[in-house]
Amino acid sequence: MRALKEVSFDLHAGEVHALLGENGAGKSTLIKVITGAHQPDGGRITVGGVEVSQLTPARARALGIACIYQQPALFPDLSVAENIALRLEKTSAWQRVRWAEIARRARELLQRIGAEIDPATEVRELSMPEQQLVEIACALGAGARIVIMDEPTASLTQKEQHLLFAVVRELRAQGVGVIYISHRLEEIFALADRVTVLRDGESVGTNPVAAINEASLIRMMVGREVSAIYPPAESAPGEVVLALCGVGCAAGGVRDVSLEVRAGEIMGLAGLVGAGRTELARILFGITPADSGEIILHGRRVAVASPRIAVAAGIAYVPEDRRRHGVILEMPIAANMTMAIHPRLFPGAWLRFGAERALALDYIRELAVKTFGPEAPGGSLSGGNQQKVALARWLATQPKLLILDEPTQGVDVGAKGEIHKIIRRLAKDGLAVLMISSDLPEVLGMSDRIAVMRGGTIAAMLPGHSDAHTVMAAALGQPGKAAA
Amino acid sequence: MSQPAPFFKTLLARPEAVLLFVLVAELVFFSAVGRNFNTADNFANIVRHSAEIGLLALVMMPIILTGGIDLSVGSLLGLCAVLFGVFTHEWHIATPLAAALTLVVGAAAGGLNGGLITGLRLPPLIVTLGTFSLFRGLAEAITKGTMTYKDFSPAFLALGHERALGLPYQGWLFIAIAVAISVLVHRTTFGRSFQAIGFSPEGARYAGLPVQRRIATTYVLAGFVAALAALVFTARLRQARADAGSGYELQAITAVVLGGTSIFGGVGTVGGTVLGVACVAVLTTGLKLIPAIALQGIGSELGSLLTGALLIFALAGGVLAKSLAARRARRQSLAKPQPQPIT
Repeated sequence: MRALKEVSFDLHAGEVHALLGENGAGKSTLIKVITGAHQPDGGRITVGGVEVSQLTPARARALGIACIYQQPALFPDLSVAENIALRLEKTSAWQRVRWAEIARRARELLQRIGAEIDPATEVRELSMPEQQLVEIACALGAGARIVIMDEPTASLTQKEQHLLFAVVRELRAQGVGVIYISHRLEEIFALADRVTVLRDGESVGTNPVAAINEASLIRMMVGREVSAIYPPAESAPGEVVLALCGVGCAAGGVRDVSLEVRAGEIMGLAGLVGAGRTELARILFGITPADSGEIILHGRRVAVASPRIAVAAGIAYVPEDRRRHGVILEMPIAANMTMAIHPRLFPGAWLRFGAERALALDYIRELAVKTFGPEAPGGSLSGGNQQKVALARWLATQPKLLILDEPTQGVDVGAKGEIHKIIRRLAKDGLAVLMISSDLPEVLGMSDRIAVMRGGTIAAMLPGHSDAHTVMAAALGQPGKAAA
Repeated sequence: MSQPAPFFKTLLARPEAVLLFVLVAELVFFSAVGRNFNTADNFANIVRHSAEIGLLALVMMPIILTGGIDLSVGSLLGLCAVLFGVFTHEWHIATPLAAALTLVVGAAAGGLNGGLITGLRLPPLIVTLGTFSLFRGLAEAITKGTMTYKDFSPAFLALGHERALGLPYQGWLFIAIAVAISVLVHRTTFGRSFQAIGFSPEGARYAGLPVQRRIATTYVLAGFVAALAALVFTARLRQARADAGSGYELQAITAVVLGGTSIFGGVGTVGGTVLGVACVAVLTTGLKLIPAIALQGIGSELGSLLTGALLIFALAGGVLAKSLAARRARRQSLAKPQPQPIT
């Protein structure tokens, strides 16, 4: 898989250039190439008319490239002035600290971007946007000519956003080039001069913002054919298995989620990264229990306070992070597959190695896991086969509701098709499936219905035969304009 | 592991094989050099002197398997010994009842560790470092630092001095606890959970295992057996003192790690722990029987020195063996067939 394919991108001085694309379109990879964190295996990078080869993070900094991340990396116990000084000064160990000079410079830099922050404040007392401003001040102090902002407004309030926008405009006025990454189309129209859309690692096009509208931007983001062939739906949805009424969890950023999943139905859960999909799954599985609303399973209200309660209630969750949560890599496949059914398979807590092996062999056959045998450690398998082991663990619990979180992420094409067939078969057998996926063709190809999440709640409930454009528009929060 | 699994064979057989070799070498060496080493009396002596640390090592093993540690078992041994003295001598409780009460207190003290670790999610190292001081301090406060309880009933003292079938009573006790812990760790879902938690606490939680309850169990077990070791200690020395079991926690950890249990959790066998205990016991006792060393009176100093060296060499050897095995596996994998679906 190539993350980036022959992307051309240019940035003028005194310009805000927005970078737009779906999850996994290659935005992060492009940023890593520009900041020297990743080495490109082809093409040229030119800064200020001079070609640079072998870009490293240190050289990128020296060339005036700075990146402001969502989570500022400042020292919380030091003052703003000290943080700025640490970034900017190359001091020797025994040099005297010139406090007055440090404070003066910090004040000057903060003034330049119009931030009203006292340089003597400890960073831990600052809000997230104020910390971002300190980062920007650092970048300016280091003489940055190119400032990259990666979704800077993701955690900001409306008022804080306006403050940040003012700073970005100030930077532009001072001749700094800004690369601005955001999922929020309205910001792009409010702020950017030009916009480049990435899709599947390729640049779809660069346009002046004045010459483009939201609908065409969305079209550029999703405009691809559904290339994979998905097995057809065979099941007719039955009774309601899971019903959520106003479920929320403040810690997980999820609020007021209501939906129903029926037996034999595959409910796709679409949305951008950070929309609250995995957080919703973690609520349903009791990892971060709900603090409001009701979870109703087969007509009975269940207080899912822990994964154990969830498992007992018939909820199964195949997590997104396979290697950390889905499979214990050091343990044998058989032990992994039986891990959620200890009480049933091993009555009285006595391990029955024969029964365990038989069960593992059954699932290895049924799901066509490519392995040397049930004793092989989980870590010896490929990603797709690990995913099958994670799936087998939860099928063994004979669940009523199966939650799949990015079931085919990092899985090769062949195994992906097999996993899709397995999911279909499970639905046909009457299982209710809630499938989280950032792979839009997968959501469209597999789902009977599609719930689109945005900002921690359900933004739209769409039929399974919706087109990519509608789903993406709902995920971006532009349903009316996109339909036009 | 109890199953014939090639994965565990390659992973675990090595440290144990090395230990078995070390143990045999020790026995051969001390038989040749030591005075009266190869006698039934000396064998009984070794068992008597290492039973308490051995018991602590047996219950330290599941804790380390989950990725935890318990520094408080030595102090708890001291506290339980003193409490047993209080129960019999000051409260005049009958010895069997006093012993049972001591075991309950031990389990409760282990429960305190487990509760703090799982309830408040505090790191085991910090919690048990705290109770390490707390338990010892309590023991010293009760005895005011000087008092010792003596004159226990002869029937009770037999636990420390009598033999059955040539093996001291505490040797039989060690075997019984070793078998019980081995079954728990290798034959039940408890051991399976300990292992899963040791490899990946998050992974175990996502599998729906009762992670916190399992962790708490290991500390309660450790407290219970520490109390048992306190009774054995008191019977052996014929007295209960506040400084009983000082430093035992580190010797127990040494035996467990020497026995091949990974300090990072997940990997280990009870059999390995037993071998680890035996290696340390034979080494420290055997040294005292070499005339030249006995004459200078440096047996115990030399014992701890060599135990430390043995631990470091065993661990270094294990790492070396693993990297050699990995290199061999890499070479073989070039010629190895790809896994096929089982049909």
